[in-house]
Amino acid sequence: MRKKLPKFSLHFFCLLVYIFLAAPIVVVLLSSLTTTDYIVFPPKGITFKWYAELVNHPEFMQSFTLSIIVAFGTSIIATIIGTMASIAVVRYEFKGKSVITQLVGSPLLIPSVVFGVALLQFYSWIGIAASPIALVIGHIILTIPFVMRLVVASLVGFDRSIEQAAMNLGAGSLRVFFQITLPIIKSGVIAGAIFAFITSFDDLTVALFIVSTDVVTLPVRIYTYMQYQYDPIITSISSIMILLTVVLMVVIERVLGVGKVFASKN
Amino acid sequence: MSYLCLENVVKTFNKTEVVKKMNLEIEKGELVSFLGPSGCGKTTTLNMIAGFLEVDGGKIVVDGKPVHLLPPNKREMGMVFQNYALFPHMTVFDNVAYGLKLRKVSKAEINQRVLEALEMVRLSGYEKRYPKELSGGQQQRVSLARALVIKPKVLLLDEPLSNLDAKLRQEMREEIVGIQKKVGITTIFVTHDQEEALAISDRVAVMYEGRIEQVDTPAAIYNHPQTDFVSRFIGEVNHIQAEVMESNDDQPCKVSFDGYQQVLSHHVPKGVLSEFYLRPEKIQINLENNQGLKVLVERKMFLGSKTRYIFLNNNQYLFADISNTVFNPDQIKEGQEVLAVWNPEDLLPVKK
Ligand SMILES: Nc1ncnc2c1ncn2[C@@H]1O[C@H](COP(=O)(O)OP(=O)(O)OP(=O)(O)O)[C@@H](O)[C@H]1O
Ligand SMILES: [Mg+2]
Repeated sequence: MRKKLPKFSLHFFCLLVYIFLAAPIVVVLLSSLTTTDYIVFPPKGITFKWYAELVNHPEFMQSFTLSIIVAFGTSIIATIIGTMASIAVVRYEFKGKSVITQLVGSPLLIPSVVFGVALLQFYSWIGIAASPIALVIGHIILTIPFVMRLVVASLVGFDRSIEQAAMNLGAGSLRVFFQITLPIIKSGVIAGAIFAFITSFDDLTVALFIVSTDVVTLPVRIYTYMQYQYDPIITSISSIMILLTVVLMVVIERVLGVGKVFASKN
Repeated sequence: MSYLCLENVVKTFNKTEVVKKMNLEIEKGELVSFLGPSGCGKTTTLNMIAGFLEVDGGKIVVDGKPVHLLPPNKREMGMVFQNYALFPHMTVFDNVAYGLKLRKVSKAEINQRVLEALEMVRLSGYEKRYPKELSGGQQQRVSLARALVIKPKVLLLDEPLSNLDAKLRQEMREEIVGIQKKVGITTIFVTHDQEEALAISDRVAVMYEGRIEQVDTPAAIYNHPQTDFVSRFIGEVNHIQAEVMESNDDQPCKVSFDGYQQVLSHHVPKGVLSEFYLRPEKIQINLENNQGLKVLVERKMFLGSKTRYIFLNNNQYLFADISNTVFNPDQIKEGQEVLAVWNPEDLLPVKK
């Protein structure tokens, strides 16, 4: 007979995995509080001076603002396009539908470095200079698959007679969309928007290919800064990024539960 | 002209005609059921009337005006769906109020009419609930209130009760007919449950393969089926054959069921076998004299108020349902030979 492992050993193993996953984040957060002017863990003393020091680095603040704007624009446009495309894919039969589905799924499969190179080539070929808009377009392509995964999941099993009922009561198709369809699939749409935001905000690989002196997003800024200096400025700005992402994840959790988001990605 | 008219309505899916030149006239305030087997085109027809499907031919006229080219939101039809189709993100009140809000009715009037509608379906006090907090029967009542509150020209119900359990189904159907009669609204009720259709309808339209086979009152449908399909589809029938003995234009027609002779009021060509349908409850057992069809009692099944007898004659089964108050089943035993009798008027000629 096979001996059963005691239950606590499973729990212990899970705990180890969690610690392993969370450790880098905790290290970054804590070492941003160090009083030394080099990064060290555990931190020596506790201070918030490195956060205050960020004020003396306007380039970080500019990058932060740029990243937020790019992520915001990406999120809104990718969500609109992704939602409309999801509706088309789920509800209508049309020529080339499978091609579109494949195409839309491909950024999930292609390594983002490859995608970055491709985008760079493409932009130089059609003559688009590096600009926030160019970056937003790249990020939209990168994030539409995420949006579509989530929105398609919320559309599958959507009972269309609900929309027919609204039409029957006198609602035109625009009204039906905004008053009935959208509210019902809103959790998928919101989750998609937040995923798009986070993906764009955190993206380094694609952004690296589109940098110019005036288009430097926060991850790129941190990356380049680190090549010359290694002080707690890095960890403090990283901590801010982490916290922002955490806040957004909590919002998703509130809206529809993280478990559901990942289940529906399947 | 009737209130609702279908004139040669056609619907084609992928080159197959699913609804074939359908004609139907419904009077104001009438309740007509569409009854037919699965896939005969009931939902398709209803969706064309509601405007969710375009007609591929013919006209739909309501109150003298053609409506078949209007979009569904301009047709003023009230639809109740099989799965209720309530708006899950709105309360019961908002569900019912939705159509009124679109019609720009004043707030006070909306409030009054919604409350009235909910009272009519016995759901007062449920205004603040969400659909998922209601039972199936309650959801269906909200759906009915939502359809009726806008005072539609026609009420369309697509198998509204099929998701409910048997007892609730019966209660709800009575409630629906009660409300329908009170409001006096022209109604089409789709069902594939014949008992339901016969119980509630002013007239029943029996459909088969995209055609209306017969439109008639429930009694006429049951007692005088006009087509072979209707005879077989409505109720149960025995299929029996007789030999035609005599049939002249000026004389009654004599037929013989394996020796059991009967005189019919209509004429059949002489010398051929004539086929009839006979309902099980029209058959009696004769113990008095030697008139009747000789049958072997193969089985008796006690069914409470009645007994079902399975008779055998020349390798042909014959089912009879006889009330236990009319005939005491203990008088005969399985394996015994008896005489089965019926009235010649109850024979339904098979139409080919
Ligand atoms: N959108 C469609 N495309 C192709 N064929 C369809 C479509 N809708 C219905 N049909 C076909 O049309 C026929 C009639 O369908 P319909 O839904 O009207 O049947 P029904 O009488 O309502 O049956 P049920 O009692 O099962 O609801 C069926 O054979 C069905 O397969
Ligand atoms: Mg149907």
